[in-house]
Amino acid sequence: MSTPSAPPPCPHLAAHRLSSRPLRFLRRCLRVRPLGRPEIRRDPRELPRCSPCAAASPSPSPRLYACLSCAAVFCPSHAASHASASAGPGHQIAVDVDRAELFCAACGDQVYDPDFDHAVFLAQSSSLLPSTSSTSPSPTPRKRRRVDYRAWAPDPAEFALMSSADPTTSASAAAPAGLRGLNNLGNTCFMNSVLQALLHAPPLRNYFLGDRHNRFLCPRRTPVRHRAAEADATKLACLACDLDEIYSAAFSGERMPYSPAKFLYSWWQHASNLASYEQQDAHEFFISILDHIHENIKDDQHKSHAQGHGDCCIAHRVFSGILRSDVTCTSCGFTSTTFEPCMDISLDLDVGDNTPFGVANTKPHVRNGERGLAGMNSKVSTLMRCLERFTRAERLDAEQKFFCERCGERQESLKQMSIRRLPLVSCFHIKRFEHSAVKKVSRKVDHCLQFPFSLDMAPYLSSSILRSRYGNRIFPAEASDADAVSELSSEFEIFAVITHSGKLEAGHYVTYLRLNNHWYKCDDAWVTRVEEHTVRTSQAYMLFYVQKTLYYKACERAAAV
Amino acid sequence: MSSSNDAPLSPRSQLALRCFEELLDCAVADVASECHRIARLGLDRSVDAEEEELRVWAARAAAGGDHHHPGGFGVAEEGGAGPGGGSKGGVDVFGQTHPAIAADVIECMNCGRPVVAGRFAPHLEKCMGKGRKARAKNTRSSTAGRTRSSNGIAASSYSPYSNAANTNRVNVPNGVTDGGCGTGGDHSSHVL
Repeated sequence: MSTPSAPPPCPHLAAHRLSSRPLRFLRRCLRVRPLGRPEIRRDPRELPRCSPCAAASPSPSPRLYACLSCAAVFCPSHAASHASASAGPGHQIAVDVDRAELFCAACGDQVYDPDFDHAVFLAQSSSLLPSTSSTSPSPTPRKRRRVDYRAWAPDPAEFALMSSADPTTSASAAAPAGLRGLNNLGNTCFMNSVLQALLHAPPLRNYFLGDRHNRFLCPRRTPVRHRAAEADATKLACLACDLDEIYSAAFSGERMPYSPAKFLYSWWQHASNLASYEQQDAHEFFISILDHIHENIKDDQHKSHAQGHGDCCIAHRVFSGILRSDVTCTSCGFTSTTFEPCMDISLDLDVGDNTPFGVANTKPHVRNGERGLAGMNSKVSTLMRCLERFTRAERLDAEQKFFCERCGERQESLKQMSIRRLPLVSCFHIKRFEHSAVKKVSRKVDHCLQFPFSLDMAPYLSSSILRSRYGNRIFPAEASDADAVSELSSEFEIFAVITHSGKLEAGHYVTYLRLNNHWYKCDDAWVTRVEEHTVRTSQAYMLFYVQKTLYYKACERAAAV
Repeated sequence: MSSSNDAPLSPRSQLALRCFEELLDCAVADVASECHRIARLGLDRSVDAEEEELRVWAARAAAGGDHHHPGGFGVAEEGGAGPGGGSKGGVDVFGQTHPAIAADVIECMNCGRPVVAGRFAPHLEKCMGKGRKARAKNTRSSTAGRTRSSNGIAASSYSPYSNAANTNRVNVPNGVTDGGCGTGGDHSSHVL
């Protein structure tokens, strides 16, 4: 999915462009209604009518076009006759009065023109007041220097060198490096599953294997000060150091399962409220250790506002993205925008929207292929639908009326989320556990979730969401805003899936890892190789995707050593 | 749209009907116009990819469910329903087997006692004085007979240890390590 590209014009549109004034001069004919809907400007009391229709029957047609050459108004059924009957060329192109879309009467089809879209875009931008953004943390659109992605493949000499040295490409290796079971220390499968996913997150793995946090040199380990509140004041636990130790153990080449006892001990020292021998939630654990790693190794100089920028610690650099939240007043169209950092995205499992013909959301997607899936179990959700649901405009409750600055009073509003900046690793948390505080019951949602192995996040970016909010107009190149993200950085590849099986209170977490194009199931100490369908049919609870440029896909080794 | 009953509609009903029809036509035209634009400008390529993905997924899920892989070398049958080991009677990808409760012995960082890995967490909980269970120092009587739901390991109920589960720090000489957990990791409780 990319920025909209102008299709080649039909011959009538091309002729019109040559013969008449540039279409952008139509801008003064445009008026933008609240919420960004453009239309042809008209007198408030003027009611456009189709003249041939008015003669035949008094009922007005809902869709009216105005000829660009003579401003005659007609309905679709009389469009062709106007084009052929009019004297002189150029009467084929008309504009939809209510939607500001070009129509070719000769072709009988809607046509698109970049200049006209530019005019609409300018009309829309000038009608919007500058939206407010909260100051923390609002990232300035700084242009980060981007490096172009260039594919690289080894030449035969390099390939021979790599094959001889690297155990992962040699035919004798039974399994990729870093693959190692983790012993269950007593209800700790929640911890093991998250650790397995982190062990194989490429940026995190590279950080620790690249000795960026050396546990023997970490300053936190030195008991420089005693904290009186801590019982063991001399033992300062650094979770990053313990994670470093786990990386060393996992990639040591040793294949017997490893017991992450020290990590558990350190984590319990930090998160005392979660320190108990009982099944924990894997997602809660994930957020907890990221938080504590941040606390441990954040650079003190970058304290306050840098959290969103991700320069503070490796946890943020890898997982932190920025979400954009737009709240729009339905009465006047004023939009208030806030940005907030996020370490993962929690998605509701949308079960109700899944009819075979479902177009339940407001996004006008073409879904004609779904009829072929009518025989499928209707309880299948897909990750992309969950993301669509996450990024669609929701009408807030009447109780949550938003105070509109322009109107000066509380109004009903629409809220829409989008992704301002993607992290290196996207973690999606599927909300399978529903807790009702009122009824004091919790239940698990068992529905299966389909997820792709390659994911393009472009439709969920702020740039795409904003563009579709204003009618998907073709933006001219110089007018594209600083939010534009290059296409390459929105493609992701999956590398880990944490699944939950069983009931809410008595369940089991398992991690599936994708290494060298094979899937491995990490069930505590048991690491086995599984087929794709096992992963596809599992109950995904947390999904980990890494940016495609950081994902090394092993080539098929048919021709190798 | 025609009404179902035969009686002629009142002028007011006719007006209301025409209003509704116009609104409906308008809404349909809105959606059609947007979809036309999206399709013509090429913005829906991702939808095709998604549908293809869904078809492939459905086909593979259906096909895969029919197969039953024998518990051979390193291939598991289904996705993680059973605790403590994917292939019953099989081996893992390295050709190893593992007991239901991890048998490696770890030296506790808090008290220094050797603890079986599979029971390390409950021991540590008592040892550190965390959790709901660890109240008084003499916990043996209070924890006896309490069972917990199984969570991932075959040993379903949490039973008190036969040795005294005291939370005092006892200076036990570092005897039984058995090579630690068979790893290169450092499990001593030294402070670095």
